[in-house]
Formats: sequence, structure tokens, C-alpha cells
Amino acid sequence: MLKGKRKIVISAIGLAIAVPLLALQAASDENPPLAPLGDPPIPLDNPQTDEKIELGRMLFFDTRLGGDASTACSTCHNQEQGWAFSDDLSRGYPGTVHWRNSQTIINSAYYGKLFWAGSAGSLESQAPSAAKGAVAGNGENDVMEARLAFIPEYRELFDTVFGDVWPRIDNAWRAIAAFERTLVQTDTPLDLFLRGDENALTEQQLRGRELFEGRANCIQCHNGAMATDERYYNLGVPPALRWEEDAAAQITFRFEQIAKGVTEELYREIKDDAGLYYRTKEVSDMGKFRTPSLRYTLYTAPYMHNGAFWDLTEVVEFYNEGGGENEFSENRTDLIQPLGLSDDEIEDLVAFIEAFSGPEIRIEVPTLPPYQPLPNPAD
Amino acid sequence: MMSVFRSSRLLRAGVAAAIGMLAALTTAQGEELGPVPQIETEAARVELGKRLFFDRRLSGDAAISCASCHIPERGFSDGLPLSAAYPGSLGFRNTPTLINSAHRAAWFHDGRLGTNLNDVTREMITEDYLMNMDMRLMQERLKQDPVYVEMFAAAGYGEPSNGGVRKAIPEYLKTLISRNSLFDQGAMSDAAQSGFAIFTGVAGCSNCHSGARFTDDEIHNTGVPDNPEIWRDPMRHATFVAYAMFMGVENYMNIRRDPGAHVRGHAADGSDIGTFLTPTLRELTQTGPYMHNGVFATLEEVVDFYNAGGGDDPNKDPRLVPLELSKQQRTDLIAFLQELSGDPLVGPEFVWEEPIPTEYEIIDDWRDTPN
Ligand code: HEC
Ligand code: HEC
Ligand code: HEC
Ligand code: HEC
Repeated sequence: MLKGKRKIVISAIGLAIAVPLLALQAASDENPPLAPLGDPPIPLDNPQTDEKIELGRMLFFDTRLGGDASTACSTCHNQEQGWAFSDDLSRGYPGTVHWRNSQTIINSAYYGKLFWAGSAGSLESQAPSAAKGAVAGNGENDVMEARLAFIPEYRELFDTVFGDVWPRIDNAWRAIAAFERTLVQTDTPLDLFLRGDENALTEQQLRGRELFEGRANCIQCHNGAMATDERYYNLGVPPALRWEEDAAAQITFRFEQIAKGVTEELYREIKDDAGLYYRTKEVSDMGKFRTPSLRYTLYTAPYMHNGAFWDLTEVVEFYNEGGGENEFSENRTDLIQPLGLSDDEIEDLVAFIEAFSGPEIRIEVPTLPPYQPLPNPAD
Repeated sequence: MMSVFRSSRLLRAGVAAAIGMLAALTTAQGEELGPVPQIETEAARVELGKRLFFDRRLSGDAAISCASCHIPERGFSDGLPLSAAYPGSLGFRNTPTLINSAHRAAWFHDGRLGTNLNDVTREMITEDYLMNMDMRLMQERLKQDPVYVEMFAAAGYGEPSNGGVRKAIPEYLKTLISRNSLFDQGAMSDAAQSGFAIFTGVAGCSNCHSGARFTDDEIHNTGVPDNPEIWRDPMRHATFVAYAMFMGVENYMNIRRDPGAHVRGHAADGSDIGTFLTPTLRELTQTGPYMHNGVFATLEEVVDFYNAGGGDDPNKDPRLVPLELSKQQRTDLIAFLQELSGDPLVGPEFVWEEPIPTEYEIIDDWRDTPN
């Protein structure tokens, strides 16, 4: 029986490698400055067309792309909740709760790797894992593909867009990815300011910017046009409270360990989300998550991979204290140190983070075409 | 004991059963005519399997259990022509009875699984349009229920696991064996006795419906007509398409007919298209509608079908020919089929009657409790 506070011990080798690498990185990096956001990259093998985007928009809202036809992408990426889900842990597939906070899909088009721990390499490959995961869509390719064939409007659109005789499920993911690439915001107050509109930021936000790039040193990680270096860090975000209070969350937590292929030994002990570790299986990557963009965060509370903080002030207070503690604190980045910000400075910094968000993005929810019987080719 | 019982029943039934005819009534497994043999089981495992069978948390969205489709009061079938399915889908086949299914050698109407009930259980739980459950998630759900933690241990399976589920449910299925039919008791009515003679004699039913369960466990083409409801309802047709796609059926978007055991045999000339496993004829009074697609609502319709020589199919079994049975003979045949049904398998021996929670208990002191 394991008792007492559980810590995953990092091997000496892991540490020895991690330290010099970090030192190197800090020395060689000039932080890329914050910049206005341009158009998203479009992959050569999935060009944008109006029909494809329209198809993707419909599929994004269509619950039939999921196991019991109850849970669409839009269920957990709700436009009224910042295209995310306003709970610490996302809602799950019926009968489950998810184990991570739902991310906004606004601007997801710009990321090199998707998900909190970067486990998907493109929007095209992210969508099926969302639609199929047991605590997300819980759908299966054959059933989902079969359903599409019984919706005449989809048959027509898949034919026009992809030349499919029958809708192919892989092309559904391509269409959804194309739709997601339209959900971008490039005209936030910060974008306007950086493009030369000096009145776009308030006095308070300008003070916040100075802290962001100066004493608070957020720019170390939240840099460039997307305000992320897309690297992985352990900030010491504390484990989700839900795991101690919610039986369904306890179930999903254990399930995810198995689904992500941890060893039997680790499965028994682990009580926190090991993040990047699940991909690399490097102990030194435990508890690391991708630096998220700060864009659109005005609408996406709660924050962090497990929704540990309910508003931006709590986030900044967390940084002000020099981060926190989790099960893998040995891996905590030393780029985060106590900041000694006053209450006013905290407010300034929060005001500046708000400048990363423009107006809420709302679109019309598509009317979804119904199933129809399939004419018999023999008739 | 079996053989004594058999001969006494035959005597009382007053049927001049020639030795040769008895041979015809013996299945491939050498199962003999008489009561269906009971199977030895272990009580703690049966109890566990029984609770699992009635537990909705075994399906992906926790909406249905095995018993949603295999309803004890309906002979562990569902009373529908075509089965329901996991929410968001509808079925394209009739739900078969589970009574005596532990004696089968292959399962499903098309016999696509020929290994064991352990695999059948996995198939039922994981199939998208049946219970659509990721068994890894199922295992973690079960571990969250202290009753299961206890029951798995008592059954000797250790902590709740997929493997344990796949053993315990079959153990429960083994208890679902027919008992006390008038036929088994040698107490058939006169009509049924004469029906039995027709069944084994002029009607030739026992060519295929042989042995204690009245099935040879083989596949045959009887030309059962199509059920157009499958193609009329997109939710059913879509399920068929998903199935046919997965089974590698050729031209699956354009066919409008259940290929049956062709998915198993893949005969190049298509001669196995439209063949289905011979079902048991036990418990028919509880298990209508009949056939793989539920096209016949009553036993009258079934007997009329055979009386006409079966259906229309170039590959139909040549033994099915018009029978020209009189009205009386048909009534007697039906009486015999009805008296093959025994006690309904209901009550606490077969049904988990205590409430099963739909919520889970929190593990207190979670941080210090190993997963
Ligand atoms: C049951 C809730 C749920 C459903 C349904 C769902 N998602 Fe998500 N989504 C999440 C959660 C939670 C995350 C973060 C998961 C993680 O990091 O492990 C996420 C992450 C993402 C991301 C990554 C964003 C980023 O910043 O890296 C994208 C893109 C995305 N989802 C798109 C989709 C699409 C497309 C669908 C439909 C095919 C979908 N989601 C369905 C909950 C859901
Ligand atoms: C060492 C790199 C690093 C530094 C420095 C840093 N962050 Fe972060 N930030 C991250 C990472 C990584 C996360 C996600 C952590 C997690 O979920 O466990 C994050 C998350 C956030 C979030 C939540 C975003 C969301 O969508 O949930 C906000 C807001 C934020 N940081 C603001 C700041 C501010 C303000 C500063 C400066 C005081 C700062 N960060 C400094 C790496 C950094
Ligand atoms: C949604 C309805 C549904 C649910 C739920 C369901 N079944 Fe079935 N079951 C069926 C149908 C329909 C068939 C026939 C399938 C076919 O022939 O393709 C079947 C076939 C079977 C068979 C084969 C019987 C035979 O004689 O070939 C067994 C055994 C079985 N089910 C057991 C179970 C168990 C155990 C569970 C729960 C783990 C379960 N079923 C859940 C509908 C269901
Ligand atoms: C050539 C073999 C064969 C012969 C002979 C035969 N059957 Fe069948 N029987 C089958 C097969 C195969 C099925 C299943 C067909 C299907 O599902 O499409 C079946 C199905 C049935 C069913 C439906 C059972 C259910 O649960 O759905 C009944 C009742 C039945 N037969 C009675 C009879 C009677 C009575 C006779 C004699 C008149 C007879 N059968 C002769 C092979 C045969």
C-alpha cells in the first residue's frame, strides 16, 4: 500500500540532461516580440474552398459524428462559451466526464501541435481523435461514415468538394479542419495597436504590457504573434480538485492512464496529469503542457489544462507567487519565479491579457439536413 | 439418465420412433433428443455475471444493458421484428433468444463467431451499434463500484477487469437453459404429439431442427423473404452498411439483402448468400417475431411459409418443398412447437432484482488510495 504524499521520482539521468538543455535555451533565445496575427497557414493538401468550409461547419455541429448521436464538436466547443466549455474539466461523452479543460478552437489553425500536451500534429488528425475518444465523441469510423451516406445534402457536398462517390470519413475531418481555419481573430486591440493604432490600448493595458515584457517576464513563453512559444513547461499547476470530489472524474482519470499506455506500476501510483510524458515517456516531461495562446482567453475561463483557475486574476496571482506545486514538481520550470507584483500591477497585467481578445466570434448555427432512405439502385 | 428419460418420453408420446430417425435427430455435436442438458456453473461467478448483464453502465453512454435487448420476460429476446440498438442507431436483425445459447458452436444469425461466449460477450459490449463501450473505460467504471470489487474477488477474478467480465457473463448465460416443457416432461397434448410426428415425418423439419435444442447448428438457405423495413429506415440501413463494410461484403452500398453467413464462408459463387444458422425451436412462445429479420409475427405464418415450400431463392435448400399439410396438420404442428416452451426464466435465479446504481461512489482519500 502506498501512503503519504506521492511523488514521481525523476531519474538522475533525466535531470542531468534537462538542466544543460534549459540553460542553453535561455542563453540562445531572443524572445520573439508580440506581433499582429496574419492569416493562418493552409496545408497544400487541404486547400480552403467555400463549399468545403460550409460542409465543415455543418459537420462541426452535427451530433451524428459521434457514438450515440448526442455529442458534436460544438457540444464541447460551444460558441457561447468561447468555443470551449465553461467548466474546469470539460463535459464528456454522456455517462462520462472528460479529464482536461476544453480548449477554444479560435486560432487553433496556427498551432503546430494540438491539444494541451501537443498529441495531434494537425487539425486533420486531431478531429478523428476527438470524435472517437471514449470520453469525447465515442464514435467509430464505420458507423459515422455509414450515417453520412444517408444524408443526401452531404452526399452532394462530399461529391462536389472531394469527388466522393460515397462520403468518406477522412474527408469529413478535412472539411472540419477547413472550417476551423476560418475561426481566427486577427483584429484584437493588441493587433490594432501593434499595427500602429496607438489608441487601441488603454493606459492600464500599456502598463500591463510593460510588466508582461519586463518584470513579469511572461514574454519568455507567451511570445510571437500567437503569444506562445509552443514549448512545454511544468508550471506547478495544482492537480484538479475534481479528482478528489467526483467519482466520474476518478474513473476517467484512471481510464486515461490506460489509454495512454502507462506502465502498470505508474498506473497504480499516479494521481496527476503527466502531460507531455504520455507522448515521450520521458520522466522529465511529466507535468509539462504546451504554452497556450493568450488570444481569445477573455471568453475561455476556466484556465490551464485542468481548469484550475476560474479567472485571469487567479492566473496572474498564481504567477505572482512563483507558480505552484503538483505531483511532478521536480520538473517545474525555473523560468517562473515569484514576481512581487502589487494588486494594481496585477490588475494592469490582467487588463493587458484582455487586449489579446477582440469581440466574441459568433456564427449562425447551421440547419442540419435529415437522414433519407437510400434509393434502391435496382429500381 | 438422459437416455432413460428420452425413451420414456418417446414412449409416452406414442411416436413410433425408428432408430434411424433418432439418428437424424442427433446434432453434429452428438446432442440427443431430450431435455437440454443443464451446465455446471459456479454460483459466485453466475451472480457476478447476472449483475453485469443487467447493468447499463456496461454501455458507452450508460443507456442500455444486455437486458435492454435480451429481456427475460420475452425469453431473452425483445419482442421486436428488428432489434433496437445503441442510441443513435437501430438494428437490422431480430434479437435471438439467449436461452440454450451456451450450447451453440457458433453465434449470431450468420454464425460469424465460432469460438466461444467469451468472444461473443466482447463483441456485444464493444460493437458500435450494440453497446459501443471501450472496455478499458468499462473496467474503470466497475472498479469504482464497491459491490463489484467484492463480487469479482468472491468469483476468484481478482479486481474488476475486462477479462473477468468476459468470463462472468458467459457463466451466467450457461444458467439460461430450457426446463420443464411439456415435451421434456412427456406430457404433450394429443395435438402436439401428432404435430411431433409431422415434424419428424412428412414435414421433414428435423432434417435441420434436430437434437435437444432442435438445431443442427448448421447454416441453410430457407428463402426467408427480405424485411423491407431495413431499407426503408435510414437508421437501420446505416447500421447494416456499417456492419457490411466491416465484414468486407462486396458492393455493400448497393445490395438490399442480408447476405447472412456469406460473411463467414465467402463462397466465390455466392451460393452461401442468404444462409442463416438454424435457430433453436425452444421457447418459441416467448420469442416471436421469428427469423433473422423478424418477418414472421406468428408461428402460423412460419408454418404457412414451410407449407408453401419455403421462400423464393435460387440457392434454397432442396429439401424444402411444398408440404400440402392440411389445416389440422398445421394446427398440430404449431401445438408441438408451442409445447417445446418451458418455464420462463424469470425471478431472482435469473434476474438481478436489486437496484443497480447509475452513479458511482467517490473514493475518499483518493490521493492515498492506489489506483
Ligand atoms: C466531450 C467534449 C469534446 C468533444 C465532443 C470535442 N472536443 Fe475538442 N477538445 C475537448 C477537450 C477537453 C480538449 C483538450 C483535450 C486534451 O488536451 O487532451 C479538446 C481539444 C481540441 C482541440 C485542440 C485545440 C488546441 O488548442 O490545441 C481542437 C482543435 C478540438 N478539440 C477540436 C474538436 C473537434 C473538431 C471536435 C469534433 C470532431 C471536437 N473537438 C470534439 C473536448 C471535446
Ligand atoms: C515558462 C513559460 C511560461 C511563462 C514564463 C508564463 N507562462 Fe503562462 N502558461 C504557460 C504554460 C505552459 C501554460 C499552461 C500550463 C498548464 O495548463 O499546466 C500557461 C497558461 C497561461 C494562461 C492560461 C491560458 C489558458 O487558455 O488556459 C494564462 C492566462 C497565462 N499563462 C498567462 C501568463 C502570464 C500573464 C504570464 C506572466 C506573468 C505567464 N503566463 C508566464 C507558460 C508560461
Ligand atoms: C442493442 C441490442 C442488444 C444488446 C444491448 C445486446 N444484444 Fe446480444 N444480440 C443482439 C442481436 C441483434 C443479436 C444478433 C446479432 C446478429 O445476428 O448479427 C444478438 C446476439 C447475441 C448472442 C448470440 C445468440 C445466438 O444464439 O447466436 C449472444 C450470446 C448475446 N447476444 C449476448 C448478449 C450479451 C451478453 C449482451 C450484453 C453484454 C448483449 N447480448 C447485448 C442484440 C443485443
Ligand atoms: C433446410 C433446413 C430447415 C428445415 C428443413 C426447416 N427449417 Fe426451420 N429454420 C431453418 C433455418 C436456417 C432457420 C432460420 C432462417 C432465418 O433466420 O432466416 C429456421 C427458422 C425456423 C423458425 C424460426 C425460429 C426463430 O426463433 O426465429 C421456426 C419456428 C422453424 N424454422 C420451424 C420449422 C419447421 C416447423 C419446419 C418443418 C416444417 C422447419 N423449420 C424446417 C432451417 C430449416
